[in-house]
Amino acid sequence: MKVWVWVFLCGVWVLGCTKREAVTVGGSTTILPIVSKVADQFRMQHSDVRIIVNAGGSGVGIKQVGEGKIDMGMASRALTELEMETYKDAHLQVHVLARDAVVPVVSSEVYDAGVTVLTLVQIGQIYTGEIDNWKILGGPDREILVIDKEKSRGTRHMFMAQVLGDKEADAPGADLVLGSNNEEQTAIVQSDAAIGLLSHAWLNEGVKGLAIRGNGDVIEPTHQNIINGSFPITRDLLVVTRGEPVGVVKAFVDYLLSAEGQRIVEASGYVAVR
Amino acid sequence: MLLSAKIGKAYVVTCAMVSAMIIVVILAFLVANSWQAFSQVGWSLLGWVWNPPKGQFGILPMVYGSFAVTVIALGIALPLGIATAVFTSEMLSATMRIYVKSFLELLAGIPSIVYGLMGVAFLSVFVQDVFDLQSGRTILTGGILLSVMVLPTVITLCDDAMHHIPMTYREAARGLGLYKYEVVKDVVLPAAKMDILGAVLLALGRVLGETMAVMLVIGSIDRMPVPFWNVLVPGQTLTSKLGREMAEAAFGSLHFEAMIAMGLILLFFVLVLTVVSLTYFYNPEGRLYE
Repeated sequence: MKVWVWVFLCGVWVLGCTKREAVTVGGSTTILPIVSKVADQFRMQHSDVRIIVNAGGSGVGIKQVGEGKIDMGMASRALTELEMETYKDAHLQVHVLARDAVVPVVSSEVYDAGVTVLTLVQIGQIYTGEIDNWKILGGPDREILVIDKEKSRGTRHMFMAQVLGDKEADAPGADLVLGSNNEEQTAIVQSDAAIGLLSHAWLNEGVKGLAIRGNGDVIEPTHQNIINGSFPITRDLLVVTRGEPVGVVKAFVDYLLSAEGQRIVEASGYVAVR
Repeated sequence: MLLSAKIGKAYVVTCAMVSAMIIVVILAFLVANSWQAFSQVGWSLLGWVWNPPKGQFGILPMVYGSFAVTVIALGIALPLGIATAVFTSEMLSATMRIYVKSFLELLAGIPSIVYGLMGVAFLSVFVQDVFDLQSGRTILTGGILLSVMVLPTVITLCDDAMHHIPMTYREAARGLGLYKYEVVKDVVLPAAKMDILGAVLLALGRVLGETMAVMLVIGSIDRMPVPFWNVLVPGQTLTSKLGREMAEAAFGSLHFEAMIAMGLILLFFVLVLTVVSLTYFYNPEGRLYE
């Protein structure tokens, strides 16, 4: 008798697991805040759909959607030629969700001591190791803690393409290699002499964005300068699907691009595209 | 033979076979998926530069990192753990021993990500302040964190090892007029040697294999410190490298195979260390008290 109760319960459990449709999403930690908030809204309207959002970075997002492990990848950079070649059978399709800037950021101590504007060349020299003390740049006499990111990260691709001219450039001056925006942010706050690269939406009191000097102009990392495209390191934030999305995946992509989805994009600190 | 006994025997044998199969399958998977790396990259695996887009797959900085954190972690955890085990096994009353031991074993149940986050929030800041460093994410920080993580394993296994030694040994030694510390030093510890070694090997395996916590605090830069004993700089272990890059390497690519090769080398290290220490310490007469 008892056994049959257990069998019945297990059956209910198994059926319960397979009942609802699920959309799995993974990738860029820059896009993660937008997609998880939009997913919360989406679930309220479609209680029968589960949306599972994971991090990992743009490279991981593209790889997993390319291999069919997830339904949607988040990427804060374009696909590389190698990725397009590797996953050509998946017919990956990108949807532009928002715009964002990659901002060179420093510890607030460095910013408050007077280093608020740098040229792209100077930033490049920091990453190659030619400049290793803030004093040279008019800051305090402290060695620079140069924080790099993992090679496949979207934020790094955009940054290195502008700063060193190659999206997969080596950074021999780097002291630490970190991953997510979160991790990067923590390390910069914990240091008093760090430089790193972050999505514009992740700046705060402990992590200050530098303005960039070019052609005599000083361009601040503001929302306005991202919209008009004058800030030098701006990028599209993408979601990647396998072919034309269908069913619940399509519903979710449409929702991301709807007025409601785009309102959440703006509320999270990014620039809406529609 | 009774039917139930037959079924029982078949069940036990099947379980043993399944366990053995799992190990064989893992080994086969690692070898099959790293073959390309060994045949194409070959001896260049033993290089100092890791840069997959340029086809450079040097793993020596990671091998060094794994070696360094292991030395630091065991250097801290073994003296501390064995001394604590002497305390719990030889000095505490039976009731107190159970309480203290259960409490210490709780530490072993904490997920490694929690250790990692505490390492980032407190330990790395502490190391940064004490040594006046640019960044507290260093090889030393990783080693200290790992020593804390394996401490419960070392304590509880060493305590069991000593506790299993029959009371008559201690009584005989005391009867011969030995002081209590002499009993521990000359009778209990030597008699428990084999089991303590087992504890050390288990701790070693955990230190070499731990990924999440060490990945968060070590700085993850594939660089050999200069000079090589300077552990106050960021580094990389085999596991932290795997943790950071495994997910982004396309399945079947040379990059992926080189990562699997690192896993195989890690396994090989543990295997060699286990075999070497067992042959060195193996006592053909078995334990004295059995």
